[in-house]
This record gives sequence, structure tokens and C-alpha cells, in this order.
Amino acid sequence: MKIILIVLAFFSVININAQTPYEKGMTKAFDLWKNRKIDEATNLFERIGKAEKENWLPYYYAAQVHITTTFSSKDQDNIESRLKKAQDYLNEAKTFSKEDNAEILILEALLYTAYVTSNPSVYAMTHAPKVEALYQKAKVLEPENPRAILCHAEWKMGDAKFWGKDPKAFCPEVEKAILYFEKESPTIPFYPTWGKNQVTRVQKNCEM
Amino acid sequence: MKFLITTLELLLLPSLLCAQTTISGTVTASSGFPIIGANIYLDGTYDGASSDENGVFSFTTNETGEQLLIVSFLSFETFSLKTAISKMTDLEITLKEDVNSLGSVILNAGTFSAGSTDKASVLTPLDIVTTAGADGDYIGAFQTLPGTSTVAEDGRLFVRGGDANEANVYIDGLRVFQPFTATANNIPTRGRFSPFLFKGTTFSTGGYSAEYGDALSSVLLLNTIDEPDQEKTDLSFISVGLGVGNTQKWDKNSLSMNAFYLNLKPYQELISQRVDWIKPFESLSGEAVYRHQFKNGLLKVYGGLNYTDFNLIQEDIDIPDGINLNLTNRNLYLNASYKGDLGNDWTITSGVSFANDRNTIKITETDVNNDDNSTHLKTKLRKRFSNRFKVSFGIEQFLGNFDEKVVDPDLGSFRSDYNNNSSAAFTEVNIFFSKKLAMQLGFRGTHNSSLEYTKISPRASLAYKITNTSQISLAYGDFYQTPQQNILKYNNTLSPEKSSHYIANYLYQHKGKTLRAEAYYKGYDDFIKYDTPIPEFHSNYTNDGDGYATGLDVYWRDNTSFKDFEYWVSYSYLNTKRNYKNFSESATPNFAAAHNLSLVGKYWVNDWKSLISTTYNFASGRPYDNPNTDSFLDSKTKSYNSLSLSWAYLISQQKILYFSASNVLGFDNIFNYQYSNTPNINGSFDRRAIKPAADRFFIVGFFWTISDDKKDNQLDNL
Repeated sequence: MKIILIVLAFFSVININAQTPYEKGMTKAFDLWKNRKIDEATNLFERIGKAEKENWLPYYYAAQVHITTTFSSKDQDNIESRLKKAQDYLNEAKTFSKEDNAEILILEALLYTAYVTSNPSVYAMTHAPKVEALYQKAKVLEPENPRAILCHAEWKMGDAKFWGKDPKAFCPEVEKAILYFEKESPTIPFYPTWGKNQVTRVQKNCEM
Repeated sequence: MKFLITTLELLLLPSLLCAQTTISGTVTASSGFPIIGANIYLDGTYDGASSDENGVFSFTTNETGEQLLIVSFLSFETFSLKTAISKMTDLEITLKEDVNSLGSVILNAGTFSAGSTDKASVLTPLDIVTTAGADGDYIGAFQTLPGTSTVAEDGRLFVRGGDANEANVYIDGLRVFQPFTATANNIPTRGRFSPFLFKGTTFSTGGYSAEYGDALSSVLLLNTIDEPDQEKTDLSFISVGLGVGNTQKWDKNSLSMNAFYLNLKPYQELISQRVDWIKPFESLSGEAVYRHQFKNGLLKVYGGLNYTDFNLIQEDIDIPDGINLNLTNRNLYLNASYKGDLGNDWTITSGVSFANDRNTIKITETDVNNDDNSTHLKTKLRKRFSNRFKVSFGIEQFLGNFDEKVVDPDLGSFRSDYNNNSSAAFTEVNIFFSKKLAMQLGFRGTHNSSLEYTKISPRASLAYKITNTSQISLAYGDFYQTPQQNILKYNNTLSPEKSSHYIANYLYQHKGKTLRAEAYYKGYDDFIKYDTPIPEFHSNYTNDGDGYATGLDVYWRDNTSFKDFEYWVSYSYLNTKRNYKNFSESATPNFAAAHNLSLVGKYWVNDWKSLISTTYNFASGRPYDNPNTDSFLDSKTKSYNSLSLSWAYLISQQKILYFSASNVLGFDNIFNYQYSNTPNINGSFDRRAIKPAADRFFIVGFFWTISDDKKDNQLDNL
């Protein structure tokens, strides 16, 4: 039954969009990712990136899969090799994107955040200022980007907690992000829209 | 299910209805294990798959004819195969481990990497600035590493039985000619450079790359920051000075500037001094770094100007009133470097450094004025043939000109000057045979046109990974160094001094713990000798000296066994003798203690937002010459002990209160003895102990960073 539903879902997609190989590939890669087939998902994103050329999105997602995977890993070697690969993908994405792409900057901030959280004594001093600078730059480029606002707020909250200050100070930012998530309506297919389902996690800091 | 999927694929890709070929095979690592999750695809197409848990893959394609098959996986080198599609069945693909990935062998014999985030780094960026006793001196933290001798009255680096002149400092690959501030005998010096301008540092205690020459024992390689993270203003209020710094960024440019004024008067008033200061130590320094990012390269221009003066009476056993020394030093240093990508895996590094050092010295009634100009030009090309094979080569030119005028009321005036020009060429190959075995071979040729000599020095190092967590490495090299300024101004017919290094290193790294043990032998030859107490115009100079140094350096670091507490232990055993300068026979010099030990601990107290750091230094007794005995340099001082503490309290993200004190327990340390030139009425020579100018040093500071993001602070400045 479930399979049939998926199949139907696919059909509906085809019917509406008359899918190109690019769209089909991207959809499949997102499915793999959703089903926790991490390596297969990045592999497919990488393949699409190579075949498409001139499109930064597949590389962007290949990097994102690696970065988000490290947040749930404890194996430092695995974390570092994934982050290194993610940086390579991000560099590829940058070469195919317009200059100063806010989405790429946000993802890069997350990459450095992953380094800092995995090994603070080595990376905090060098990488934490980079995270901050990247979010600021992204917000200047796109003041209404909900991911920039939300991720930056979460980063600031972590910081406030460390300093024994009230993370609630950044709750209005989260509200602002929610507002902008609602307003978001990308025109480019597969343009980043993630982050909405992370609002609840970040909002936990506001309930204390 | 299978049916459904097939149906689905057919529907989704009508083109699949055309003739299809199946591409299949297995992917294994060179060790024979299957690789799970490798990415296998036809270049430029959507056709591909990931390998399963047995390393097996299979996918179909409509492509025909010759195609490029790519196989890639994390930490492995990408494999490619160009052949006809029809032949791409039951492929057996073996991936080679990527030698650039984590866990690869590192060529590290003789070398400490510090202040960077790479895995071989023995000091983190924070360590360099928070080590107690270093007091913000960039060099200070390195003195807690094995292979260095504690010579607290000097402040420079004494590496493996070598004196401080045997170590050279480079910034961005270019020579720093006067890396330390001007000082008097027995008053420790400091590095001239502000620590916050640098990122990774390499400290070599021997066997270093053919790219560097003119140093018998050691090189310290500093790299300036490529791009500052943000605009900010730093203010420092210290008990002994004031500092201000500012960083600006615009377009592809950035500019960092800072100025510092140091005056030791408040400290000298508080802590009793053994030296009689007439005018306290005072220095004013300004530095600026400009960076411009080109499309394929980076230009960095550094400029530093430093002005130092002081006046003191130095105690002397033969001169009851002491020696009045008045010194003014002005030092200008410029360094411009360009690093660029030439395409096709070629990179170029090119640059120039220039230093002008001017001293006005008055020793009692004698006036000394000198002016030293030095230039270094260098260009290096590097070609990366693959991750496993890299070649670099380069040329460099040194130009030196020194001029000194001495006016003595009794003896008249003397003028001495010399040129010291030399050219060098170097080449080096870097070969990784596998992730486990690597080798570096290099040659350096130097021609000094002023002293008229040509020397070729080979360098080699080899590293082999024994287990996942440990490796051994070996290094060998010949090194030449031109005689120092104090000799060259009287004689320019000498040969360079020579040393040969033989190094064996063992490294263990596992989960935040590092053990590094290194045994070495260093042979010295052609040391300069002279027949007067100090080098003089009429001295007889020869290259007849020689010597050796051998020993064992051990470094242990543990970051993980205790929560919020990191510590490291350095121990060095040194056995050295040399016959140089005016030595009557081969002996262990005064600066070389047989045993040196450093213990450094750092404790982060989260509730107090404080980093508390402590350093304990021990050195066994140092040799000194007692003219009341028949033997030369055969007596030993008592051992040296010092315990230093520092406390950095983070008031907020941007405000730091810092307190640091050295030798808090007040050990009474003796470095050497000065004996009278003439015997007393009992026929023996009287002596005076050479001790630190003060037993303790302390500073209190407040550091305030103003930036947009309210995040940055000056921990990296301390």
C-alpha cells in the first residue's frame, strides 16, 4: 500500500512537471536522504552536480548532507573527513553560483559550527568568529532569509547559555524567522527552503 | 515491488526503452576490504550507483561507445577508467587511500607544528597565548617545548645545544633579520611581533626543509593571517603599557594596524631590581598588514617600526661603579609576499623582505653607532603532479650591508663595515608511496659572493606509519651558517660554520593524547675561533672549532583524561660540547643544561569564566668557568626552578582581565658567575653571581575588543 502511494506520488509529480532527469535525480536524492541513506544521497547529489555543471544546488545539498550527519556523530575522524568533503562540495557550489550567495554562506557557517561543536578546544578560537562573520554577511545580503535569522539566533543562544545569560533575548529573532518562513516562495526548483521544522527545537530555549 | 519500481523507472525515463547496457563490478580498498557507499558513475551523465555492503554495484546506461567511468569515496583517491561501455562489466576496482586524508603518515622529524588546527599540531592557537610565563611573547610558548634550553636571562630560543644565533625566524617564508627587541646583557628580550597577526607556526628543532638555510640549529616559521574574520578595534591597558589595534575590511582588501607603547617603569618601581635603571625600558612599536585578494592569488604586505630605548648601570665585578649603558634602537621591517595559482597545479610564492636596524649605544664614554640593512628576495614554484608526488624549487638572494662607527675618548674613532651578499637555489621532492610511507628529498646550494664560498647541503626525511596511532620518522641534513655580525665586521675571509643533523622520531597520537620522542645527534664543524676575550679588530680568526650535541626530547600531552584540564610535559636530555669562540678546549657552554623540564597545565573554570594556567620550569645546573680551578668550564650552578601562573578572567565576551606572574615562589636562580680579572690578596678570584634583573615579573591587564558582533575577544593577544 505504502509503495503504491509513493508510486502515485511520483506519478503526480511527473504529471505536473513532466520531470527532467535533473528533477528526477534531485527528487530521488532527497528521498535517499530522508531514508537515511546518507552516502547514497551525497553520491547522487555529487553525480547530478557533475552532470549538470553550472548549477550550485546539487553540490550545496551534497555538502549539507555531510554537515548535518556530523551533528549526530561522535567519531572525530569520521566527522573531520565528512567536513573536509563538505568544504570541497561547498567550494564547487561557490564556483557555480553568483558571488555572495547567502544560502552558501549560511551552510558554510553551519560547517564551521560543526567543527566548533565537535572539538571546541581546537576549533573554537579560530572558527567561532568565522561563524559569526558568515551569518552577518548572509543577513546583509538577504535581511529576510529565515535560515540566516534562525541559525544565527540558535548560535547566539548557545553563546548566551555559555556566558550564563538569558538565551530568551534572541526569541524575537526566532519569531521573525517564522514570519519569513511563511513569506518564502522560491521560484527556482529545489532552492533551499529548509529550516522550518527546526523552529521547535530552537524555541525550546524560549520556554525555560 | 520490483515490478513496480521497474515500471516506475520505465515511465520516468522513456529513453530507457532504448538499448541499455549494464555496468557492474566491485570496489575494494587496496587492503582488500570491500568499500561500501562508493560513488560510481559515468562522467557527465546521470547514470551511476553506490556500492553495497559487499562493494558490489550495478547500473544501466543508454550511453554507448567510449566513456569515462569515475569511482570516488571519502578519504580515497578518485579512480577513473576510460573504455568502451561494453567492457564495463564485472569490473574489479581497487581504490588507493588518499594520502592527503586524515590518518596519513606525516613528515615530522625535527618539527613541531603549532597554533594551527591540523592534527600534527602540538600547541593549539589558544596555547600560544595562554601559556603562563610567556606573557604574550610569541616565542615564550615555544620555550615549553622539548629541545629548547631554559636560558631565562636571554629570552631567545636555544635549540639542542645551539646558541641563540643558530635559530632563524621567517615570516611568510621571508627572513626576519632582527626578530627580537634590542636589550642589554642579562635582560631577557621578547619577540618584536604582535601574536595576533599570525596563524599556524612551524618550529623546527632540526632537519628542516631545503627551502631554509643560514641557520645551524633551528628555524621558526611564522605565517600571517590570510584574511581577518571581521572589522574590530582592540584596546589593551596593561600595567606596563598601552595598545590599540584596528582591522578594516573592504571589497577584496583588509588592513590591520596596531600600536603598542611599553614602559617598564611602574613594574621596576614595584619590584626590587638588581639592575640600576637610570631610564627605564621603553618601547614604541607600530605594525600594519595590508592584504589584497586577487582572482588567483593573495598579496600580503607587512610593515613594522619599533623604537626602543633604555639606560642602565650594569654591575661588573671589576668596575665598582658599574658600566653605564645607554641604548636607542630603531628597527624597520617590511615584508611583501604574493602567493598565486598559475593553473595546471602550479603555484608560485614570491616576496621580498627588508630590514633597517639602527643602534645608538653609549657604553660609559664610548659611542657606538651602527646601521644594518638587509634584504631577502625569494621566488618559489611548486608543481603538484598528484597527491603523491610534488616538486618545488626556488631561488633566493640575500643582500646585507653593515656600517659601524665607534668613538672612544681615549682610543679615537674606528669605522667598520662589510657586505654580506649570498644567493641560493633549492629544490625539494615530496613523495607519498602510500598512506603509510612518505619521503622528502631536497638540495640547497648557496653561494656567498662576499665571503666567496659555495656550499651544497642535502636534506632528507622519511616517515613510516607503524599502526593507526603511531609512526616513526628519520631525518638528515647538512646546514651552513655565515659568521655573525660581531665577527664579519672584522673579518670576511672565513668559511661558514657547519652542522649535520641525524634525527629519529617516534610519534603516538590517540584520542587527544600525544607522545613524541625524538633522539638526535648533531655534529658541528668549522666553528669560528679567535684568540682574544671578545672578537676584536686585531684578533686572529680561524675555522678550527668543532663540537657536537646529542640527546633525547620527549613530549607528552593529554587533553582528554580530565575534564576542562589540559597539560603537557616536555623533557630534554642534552649532552653537548663545543670548541668555539675563545674556548681553550672543548667544553659544554654555559647556556646548555643537561636536563630541561617543563610542565604546563591549563584549567578552565567554567563557573568563574576563567582560564587558569601554570608553568613549571626546571633546568639542571649550568656550566661555568671557575678560574680558581685548573679545568675549563667545569663547575656547575645550582639548578633552575620557576613556577609561573596566569589567570585570564572573561568578564564578558569582549572584556578580559588578565593577571600573570612569573617565579611566584621566588626561587633564587643563578645563571652564571662573573669572576674578577685579577686575584684578591689571598690569590683567588672573587666572583659575582649573575642573576635575573628581578626575581619576579608580573603584569595586570585589561583587554577590550570592540566589534560589530560583540563576539571576538583578545584571548589571542595575551
